[in-house]
Amino acid sequence: MSTYRITIDRSVCSGFGSCADLAPQAFAVGADGIATALVVETDDPAVLDAAASCPMAAITVEEVGKQEAA
Amino acid sequence: MRDPTFWILARASGLTAYALLTLSVLAGLVVKSKPFGPAVKQAAATDLHRFLALLGLGAIALHGTALVLDSTVKISPAALVVPGLSPYRPLWTALGVLAAELMVLVYLSFALRRRIGGRNWRRLHWATYAIFALATAHGLLSGTDSRQAWAGWLYVGALGAVVTATAWRALSTPAARTARLPQPSPRPATQTANTGGS
Repeated sequence: MSTYRITIDRSVCSGFGSCADLAPQAFAVGADGIATALVVETDDPAVLDAAASCPMAAITVEEVGKQEAA
Repeated sequence: MRDPTFWILARASGLTAYALLTLSVLAGLVVKSKPFGPAVKQAAATDLHRFLALLGLGAIALHGTALVLDSTVKISPAALVVPGLSPYRPLWTALGVLAAELMVLVYLSFALRRRIGGRNWRRLHWATYAIFALATAHGLLSGTDSRQAWAGWLYVGALGAVVTATAWRALSTPAARTARLPQPSPRPATQTANTGGS
């Protein structure tokens, strides 16, 4: 099982909200209308779909392997 | 007697392309301004928006092909890509060529948005309003069916819907967007999304 590290460029995010639809456990759109990552790392591959769906390409998901973060 | 098949196909596909473009613009505005709230999933609305645009481009391709194959007006393949080459209402057909080319550009930009950057992608997407205006003028002024009452209602309905949805978008954009809140701290890095952990 892979682990994915999530980064959101909040200066680019326009609050479309596709990420929160596709991976609600990892993304939420805040009161300011901008997405935030609810977790830094997750093993849920849905975050890949969420990143791919972002119209602003504001989400980067890196595969960091199996090891647990310190 | 001249076979009217391609001429009929050209007119029908042109009107279909315009209807699909209108629906795609409306779906795009739904994605942006979220008038239905959580009832409409953003990812699904985005997919619909892109699918309608792709169908519209397909109808445009059919429109151009039928016009080249038809003999009512002499339109060369080059006239499909170079604005103004059509001998039939050159200015008004040029608007249609420009609209189609811009639409292809905007459609492809979605796939290239990581390369060109999200902001540039969004700037390019503003061209959609120009595409809709060009397509409306092209349809009304070079379409042979424009004088028909039903065609008039099509254009009035499309324009009215897009203007209304655009006004909704302009009025519904929250002012809070301009003042971004600081990002709340995510949960610790060791936490995973699945309750069972890894």
